Formats: sequence, C-alpha cells, structure tokens
Amino acid sequence: MSDQAVIPLRVVGQRLPRVDAGERVTGRAIYPADLVRPGTLVGSIKRSPHGHAVIKSVDTTKALALKGVKAVVTGADFPEIVPGTIIPFGETGADLWVSALIVMARGKVLWVGQPVAAVAAVDEHVAAEALSLIEITYDVLPAVASIEAAMAKGACVLHPQHTTKGFEPGAAIPPNIGSRTLLERGDAELALTQSAATASIAVKVYTGHQGYIEPHACVAEADPQGNVTLWASSQGAHQTEIQTAGILGLPQSKLKVVPLELGGGFGGKITVHLEPVAARLAQISGRPVKMVMSRAEILAGGSGPPAAAQVSVEVGAEADGRLKAIAGRYVFDTGGIPGTPTTLLMQASAACYQTETLRLEGMDVVTSKPRTEAYRGPGGIQAAFAVEQAMDELAIKLGMDAVAFRQRNAAVTGSLMPAGTPFPSIGLTTILERVAAHASWRDPLPPGKHPRGRGLALGYWRGTSMTSAAQLTVAGDGRVMVTMGTVDISGTRTTMAQVAAEEMGLSIDDVHVATGDTKSSAYSDAAAGSRVGRTMAAAVVDACRDALGQLKGRAAERLQAPEVDVTYDRGVFRAGGNGGTAASITLGELMRQTLTDGAIIGRGVSTKLPFGVEVGAHVVDVEVDPETGQVTVLRYTAFQDVGRALNPTAVEGQMQGSVVQGLGWALTEAIDYDADGKVRNASLLDFRLPTALDVPPIDCVIIETPVPGVPYGLRGVGEMPIVPVAGAVANAVRRAIGVRVTNMPMTPERVLAALKNKAGNPA
Amino acid sequence: MIVDLKHIGEMCSVVRTPDKGWRIGAAVSVRQLGANGDLARDYPGLIEAAQLIGSLQVQSRATLGGNLCNGAPSADAVPLMMSIEARVEIAGTRGRRMVNIESLPVAPGKVALTPDELLVAVLLPPRPARSAARYLRFTPRREMDIAIAGSGVAVRLGAAGEIAHARITLASVAPVPLRATKAEARLIGERPTAALLAEAARIAAGEAKPISDTRASADYRRELVAVLTRRALDACVAEAGVGGSKP
Amino acid sequence: MKTVVQCEVNGEPREALVDPRDTLLQLLRDRLGLTGTKEGCSNGNCGSCTVLMAGAPVCACLVLAGEAEGAHITTIEGVADGNDLHPVQAALIQHGGTQCGFCTPGIVLSAVALLAETPQPTSGQIRHAIAGNICRCTGYDKIVTAIAAAAAEMQAGARQ
Repeated sequence: MSDQAVIPLRVVGQRLPRVDAGERVTGRAIYPADLVRPGTLVGSIKRSPHGHAVIKSVDTTKALALKGVKAVVTGADFPEIVPGTIIPFGETGADLWVSALIVMARGKVLWVGQPVAAVAAVDEHVAAEALSLIEITYDVLPAVASIEAAMAKGACVLHPQHTTKGFEPGAAIPPNIGSRTLLERGDAELALTQSAATASIAVKVYTGHQGYIEPHACVAEADPQGNVTLWASSQGAHQTEIQTAGILGLPQSKLKVVPLELGGGFGGKITVHLEPVAARLAQISGRPVKMVMSRAEILAGGSGPPAAAQVSVEVGAEADGRLKAIAGRYVFDTGGIPGTPTTLLMQASAACYQTETLRLEGMDVVTSKPRTEAYRGPGGIQAAFAVEQAMDELAIKLGMDAVAFRQRNAAVTGSLMPAGTPFPSIGLTTILERVAAHASWRDPLPPGKHPRGRGLALGYWRGTSMTSAAQLTVAGDGRVMVTMGTVDISGTRTTMAQVAAEEMGLSIDDVHVATGDTKSSAYSDAAAGSRVGRTMAAAVVDACRDALGQLKGRAAERLQAPEVDVTYDRGVFRAGGNGGTAASITLGELMRQTLTDGAIIGRGVSTKLPFGVEVGAHVVDVEVDPETGQVTVLRYTAFQDVGRALNPTAVEGQMQGSVVQGLGWALTEAIDYDADGKVRNASLLDFRLPTALDVPPIDCVIIETPVPGVPYGLRGVGEMPIVPVAGAVANAVRRAIGVRVTNMPMTPERVLAALKNKAGNPA
Repeated sequence: MIVDLKHIGEMCSVVRTPDKGWRIGAAVSVRQLGANGDLARDYPGLIEAAQLIGSLQVQSRATLGGNLCNGAPSADAVPLMMSIEARVEIAGTRGRRMVNIESLPVAPGKVALTPDELLVAVLLPPRPARSAARYLRFTPRREMDIAIAGSGVAVRLGAAGEIAHARITLASVAPVPLRATKAEARLIGERPTAALLAEAARIAAGEAKPISDTRASADYRRELVAVLTRRALDACVAEAGVGGSKP
Repeated sequence: MKTVVQCEVNGEPREALVDPRDTLLQLLRDRLGLTGTKEGCSNGNCGSCTVLMAGAPVCACLVLAGEAEGAHITTIEGVADGNDLHPVQAALIQHGGTQCGFCTPGIVLSAVALLAETPQPTSGQIRHAIAGNICRCTGYDKIVTAIAAAAAEMQAGARQ
C-alpha cells in the first residue's frame, strides 16, 4: 500500500461535510429514545441503595399485581455467568461475568445504583409505582468506597473468592487488589540515586465521567418465534449482540442488534447496561420495551465511569537532561468488579520518553463503586497528570526549557518502548520541532490581572488494531454502497465514503456508507481504541479492490480484451491502456449491462494492522486567581501526528472535543461518593461539564507522518488528545503560581489550598 | 390542579412607582427584566445578579418572585435585593401586605408565605444619589452553576466621600441569605480606604455560618466571602463615587 | 385528570391530551411525535431540549405541558423551510459543528434565538448564547465558527 503515498489524493484528505449532518441539524436523526414501535412499554430499573449488601430476598408480587405492569425481572431471570466466561473482544477477549453483573446484581450488590430488578409497564408513571412496590431485603455489609478504604488493613473484602495475581510469592498483599503488573527494565532505584536531579510527585485523581449527552437507551422486541431485535445506541453492535445473547442465554442467530445513532459514547457505551434487561422484559411481556436511563441514574451507578487513581512518579536525569529513570506506581480504582487493566496506561504514560531504566508497577483495586469502564484513552489522562508534572518539575530543576527537555529524551522510531520492544514509526521529534517554533510556545504571555503561566505536556496512545469488516456492492448505475460492521462514532460514514470514493475513482456523492446491523454486516470490533478510522479504512480499501477485481473481469469480457490489459481510472475501464484510442466502458454502463449477471460483492476484512502510534503535545496558557483559586484557560494549542488526516475537519473535531473533555476533568468534573458509596452530585448541575464559556478556542496543529503498512499511513486520532490535558494545565498552573496541584480535578478550592500550603511551608 | 400565574397583568409588568422606585411583577422573567433599559440604569447590579441565574433558557422562565419563593440560600438575585432594602407585596385571601424581603426566607426551601398567599411584586426603593449595589458570586463554572458563596453589597456615599450607608448580604453561607451587620457597622461613617473595605470583608467572613457539602468546604466558603465582599465593596465605592452611574 | 392543551407548534395548530405532571418535552416528543427535541438531563442543565416559546429559548423539560396552552412554540422540526435549511443549520454542516448530533437541535434553536436579537454577535456573545447547551463532542469551537458564519451569511442577505 506504499503506492498510496505517491498518487495524489482527490477525496481523502478533503474537508468534506459529514454525509449524515443534514439529519442531525434538522432533528431527524433517530436515537433509540426516539424510536416508536407499536405498543411499546416503558422499562425501568430498581437499583441498589447500598454500596455493599447481600440480597436476602426480592418480592415482586405486589409490583406484578399492579394494573399496567406487564413484566418484572430480577437476577433469577438470567442464567448465572461465572467469572472467566471469556467472550470475543479485541485482542484479549472480555469476561462476560463483568457485563452480567453490570446488567443485574446476583447474590449481593456491589455498588449504589447496581440493578436489582426491573419492570415493564404501560407508562412511566406506572413503572415508577411498580418499582416502589418491589420489596427487597438486604443484609448491609461495610462499603469501601475509595482506594484508601479498600486497601486499608482489615478492610471488608468485596470478592473473597477472587485470587489476586501478580505479586511475588510471600508478598504482603493489601485487601481488594484485582491484580498487579510490574514492568521493569534495569535498576531504576539505583539510577535515581545516581541522577543529577530528580523530581517526584504523587497525585490523586477523582472519578470522572464520559459525560455523553445522550443517556443510555434501547428498544427491544421479541417475536412469537423467539427472534429478538434490539435497537441500540452502542459503540459496537456486534459487541452488544455477543454480550446480550450471552447474558440471556440466547443463540446469536435469534438476536439482531440494530445500531441507531450514537449520542456520544467515549468508551462508556461498549459494555451493555440496559440491553439484556429490555430484551428479557420484551420476551416476557411479548411487547416492545423501551428503556432510557435518567441522568441521575447515569451518574449514580447506572453507568461505568472512568477510574479514580492514585499515581506516584519519580524521575531522574543527568545534568545534561538525559533521563536515567522513570519509576511509577499506578493504583487504579476498578469499582465493584476486578479486572481493569493497568498495563497499557502505565506504558502509555512513559512512552514518549527514552530512559535508561524503568520501573512501573500497576494495580487495580476493587471498591464499592460502579465498575469502571473505558473513557477515551482509558487511564491515560490520570497517569499523564502525574508523569507530565514530574517531567516538567525535572526540567525546572535542571534549568531546561520544557520543550528542550522533551527533545533531549523524545522517543524515536526504533527506540525502546516501555515494554522493551522497539518503537514503530513515531513522529514525536517532528512535533516537538513544530512546538518549539510555534507562536503558542514562543509568544510572550500577555500580562493579566492575575498570575499567568504556560504549560506543556506530551501525550501518547497506542492506536490499537482489532478487526473491522466492510462489504461493498455496486448498484445498476455504478454507484457503490459500503456496509460497515462498526457504528459511526466520529464521522465514520463520511471518512469511509471518502476512502471508498478515492479507491473506486468516484465522487463522494456516488458512495453510500451504511452502518450495518448484526445480521447484515460482518463481525467488527467496537468503535474504541482509536481504531475505527484506520482499520475500517483498511477494510474498505480491501473491499474496493476486491470489487474492482471482479469488475475488471466483467469489463474484460465486455471489451473483449484480456483482463491484464484492462485498466480502471475514475469510473472508466479501458482496454489496452493506451489513452483515448482504446476501447472503454464506464463503470455505470458496465453495471447497467451486467447487473443481472450477478451481484458484485467486495469483501474487506482488516486485522492485525500495525499499531497507529498517536503522539501529541499540548501547550496551554492559564491565569490563576490567587484569592479564589480559579483557573481560567486563556489559550490552548494541540499538536498531533495523525499519519494522515482523512478529513481535517473531523480530525480537528476529535482534537478539540478531546481537549475540552480533558479540561472538564482537569478542572471541574468529579463524581462525589460519600463513605458509603452514595453519590452526592448526581446531576449535570453539580457534575460540571464545561460550557462554551469555560473554554477558549482550541487551536489544532495537524502533523502527518504516515505509518508504513497502513492505508494512507493512518494513525489513531481520537484518544491521544485527552491524555496530556490535565498535565499541561497543571504545568501551566505551576508556572503561574509556583505550586503543584496534585488533586484532580484541580478545583478552585484545591488550587487555593495548594497555594496556602506553599505559603505555610516556604520551600 | 395547576394554575399558571403568568397571565396576571400586574404580576407580569415592570412599572416606575411615583416615588421613582420600581414595582416589578413577581412573574416578570429575567429575560424581560434585562430588556428594561431604565431599570438597568438604576439597578445594573440587580440585572447582573438576575442574569446569573441558570442559563439563558432558564432566564426565559426565571423570575425574581421565583428566586425569592424558592427559598434557596444560594438564590443569586436575593442578596442584592436585600441589600437595597427591597420589599415584597403579598396578596392573600385576607388582603394584601408588604414585608421587607429580609423577613421572607425562613429556612432552605421555606419562605414566610401562608398557603393562601401569593407573592405579587417586588418593590425597589428609588436609587439614592451617590449609591451603588453589586452582587458577586463564586462558581467553578462561569455560568450554569450555583453560588458556592455570594455577596450582595449596597453602598451610599456621603457628601464628604464617607460611607453613609452600607448593606452586605451573603449567599450560600447560612440557611438563608445572611446580613453581615457587623461588617456593615464597621463601614458607616468611615472613608472607604482599601484597608477598611478589606477589614469589613473579613468581618463579613466571620459572620458567615457556612456548611461543608459537595460544593465546597465551610472554610473555603468563608474565604470566598471575604474576597467577594471586598471586591463588591470596591466596585460599589468606585461606582458610587463617580455619581452613581454605571462606570 | 388529563386536560387538552391547544397550542401552535411550528406555525401549525396542535392539541393533545396531557397529564398535569407532563412537561412540554413529553408533550412534544410523546404526544406530538416531535422527537427532534432531545432529553439529556431532565433538569435544565444541558439544553438538549431547547425550544422557543414566543421566540425565547426555554428548556422544554422545565415547562409544564399545561403552560403551552395558547403558546407559540418553535422546535427543531420548524427551523428549516422544508429542506431549505436555516443558515445556522447549513453552517453547522459546513463547518463541522455537529458530531454525535444529540445536542445539535438545542444548539440550533439557541443560535436562532441569538441571531434574531443580535444579528452580528461577537464570539463572546455566541459562547454566552450557547452556554446553556452542553456539547460533549466538539469542544464548541466549530459550533461558534458556524454560528458566526451563519450570522455573516444572514447579514449578506443571501437568504432574502
């Protein structure tokens, strides 16, 4: 596919508007909550009020007897799924046990808001009354609603049957540890003692949230022959099918998942929440069932937030700035079910730097909180909040410019990754050159009313592979339709239409891209891990080339020429290839003449694509009110290597959206759990997503260093740009007021506390 | 049964009173208030405070009457109304009565209205010469947020430039909007130096009775009171000093 | 007890039977089938359900259905003239101002209300006008650009 680099592109790389924008700006796009099926019931969930309790009994008699109630379900209505029930998902598979417990508690409740029962009724008023009539008795157990509480000596153990892995034999293992990972290269401890300068920091990150504006919703319907249709808003129709079928004990042949529009996911709509419940209620009632979560449910246990974390990092360097050691300890809050991996985020946090030695230790801790789920570069922003501050502090101690320090240590193609293998193509040095020369870094900070500072942080994300499938068919007029096995998450229909148009030599208006349901598309992994653009593009390229091969055969027949002599360019097949004199036929004419000879079906499957390493650097200017602690973000510039921008507008949209999400968590967003695991701020008033007034324009600098072996050289785009945000802001705050804020979000109260702490303990 | 009060004429109008004050119907929306240029010239601080309530969407619906009767200690329009000594007119089955706004809130979510009563209008006194009133609040977000603390200040300067009259009412630091009377007393008769205003603001912080909750700690709220009160006093003194028109 | 509400939605007379507890949002979505108005928080904190009542933006989740009696309401379905888009809609498409699309109807209505009163808004005024509309995808940048472009377009009179 290296030939792609030399042929000028016509459609790929253009700033084309989204092909599905018209229905969005007119309110015609259909999300599950908008779907109306005849006779639809309202489904609603009874949730645990306790952070940790044994379910002694559930009595649904009174609820079932209420007029207008058509079905009631509890854990007993689902087959038991044991830990270690691995289902296909990405590179590692996933444990269906986790999804099953998120969908419905069994035996005991592990967090406030975990589902315990559900009803389907004729309207929301009846459903609410029915929920109040379900009688549940609990044996309340001690909750451990924070990392500290869960790891404390003598803490109540949430999963007594769980075996903690990853510790050395004989090690003292704190309670409630899911597992431990250690990544070690050289003797970091020794290297730190030999360093000319060291810097260390310990940070605490509170639980955030993905904050998608569309609440979780689905509609399920079961026919008399046992076929279930599920209309879902999900990051992966096929993942929703696998999980739902598994949790229901239903053959996948009996379940069709239809992806409707996705009103934001950001990692939080991969695991199923409502879908199996809606399906079971539909099976029992024989009626369509719609379920829509309220915002309060979403924030208080109904969804899986990203992990709280405690990260401590120490870094050391020679006097010339060369890094000798990175030592980090990453403790992540997995919520009520063990198994949140720390390996990738540990590696990501150190990946931008070449270092002589390395010691990264990671643990996930089970707490009485909702099971955490993915959020845009999972764990990345939390880890980088620590590592990027440590690096910045080290640069200050060395008296080096923050960019120059990074340039001194930047990972390059072939240098060692944290795991010890050589880096594939990485464009970090180019990015740093651009930063160093850019106005956002070079312009003097304009003076303000309050102290100001400029911060820099780097970010890395892997840009995973996983598999994608596409099929391409050609209509009787030569126009093409691509059906994808993934949903549209960030303009996928548009970018894939660009790819298909490019490959087929057509205009984007000649291409229709559909997100297939699970019975009309082939298995594709979820839209997650910065992979859809890359891997679906590879699948679409494959499908186009497959179809073109078939079409060439037909054209050869029509043109009465050997197939090897037939060429194709921009909608025209030519025999002989010698310009205007040769016989030719247009794609449209060819299809008009041969459609009824049989369909053209191009098959595209991409798998095990080289990683699309994503790196970037963010520069931010802030002003800090030293009396209130309020941080105002004045200017923000994001630099990122995307390999090639399929559609620069879409790329910028990903970067800008990521940055603002990162600013939200960095400054104002946190779910506030009390000691019993109850949420004290389950609304969008007190869970403070940034508004348009809270953020400046986000300037984007797109850099294109193609990845070999990937169509168009594409890298991942969507996750990396959230990773550096909190670190960059913290570094800017440090430069403004001379103190490090170690708790995130860096709320005004915390910033002020840090300032006072400094005043009380002069360095 | 639900009765919509927003179609009663006197509750939906803003009129100048004969004494050059204002009568604002309890159901006049913040959006409508902001459109009244004369009112905005007299009491720019009231308009500003009211425009802190919720979003523009909320301000299409929010009213001074609602902000008062909701009984929230964080109500953004209330401290300033108290500091300018506004009164409210209440209609009930036993007739009408006028009360000082200060006596209306009794507890979070509770006001001194009986079940047969209705708040009809807010009455603003005429704006005195060389006076100003401003409300400052603190929220983590710029808008769409609830005051962690707020301070509504009204100041009138005397002929010699001394502070002739001062009122300070605090938001979100007590079960109801709270007058900082000791701070007020410290100001009266004094020349408004920066040191004096800062001292009064610190006294106000001492008078606050905040709680710790999900939004902030009591200590932080108290600190904010000092900062906001000082800044509001600074602004008012500056504004009153140039004759009382909006700077 | 349910009552009949009569109102004008997008210039057309409509009536529906509503429960006293129903909101305008439920009236629009569930009774009138106007599902372009979205429900994101049910508390007036996200702006997804923004509609215009007498030209003023309101959160339909904070208005009781009964209050719609006699009201003139504009929803997202009434912004375009058939498929002839309002400049705000066209600009959002052109400038990448819509991603997942869930907040978009509310943004459109806030912007339409802004431009009706302030034909030449500054970017600060635009940000203020949409501060009650939370968007989680775009970071707002391209929305602000789009609304400014729509204002310029309308000023140029291209629509007349």
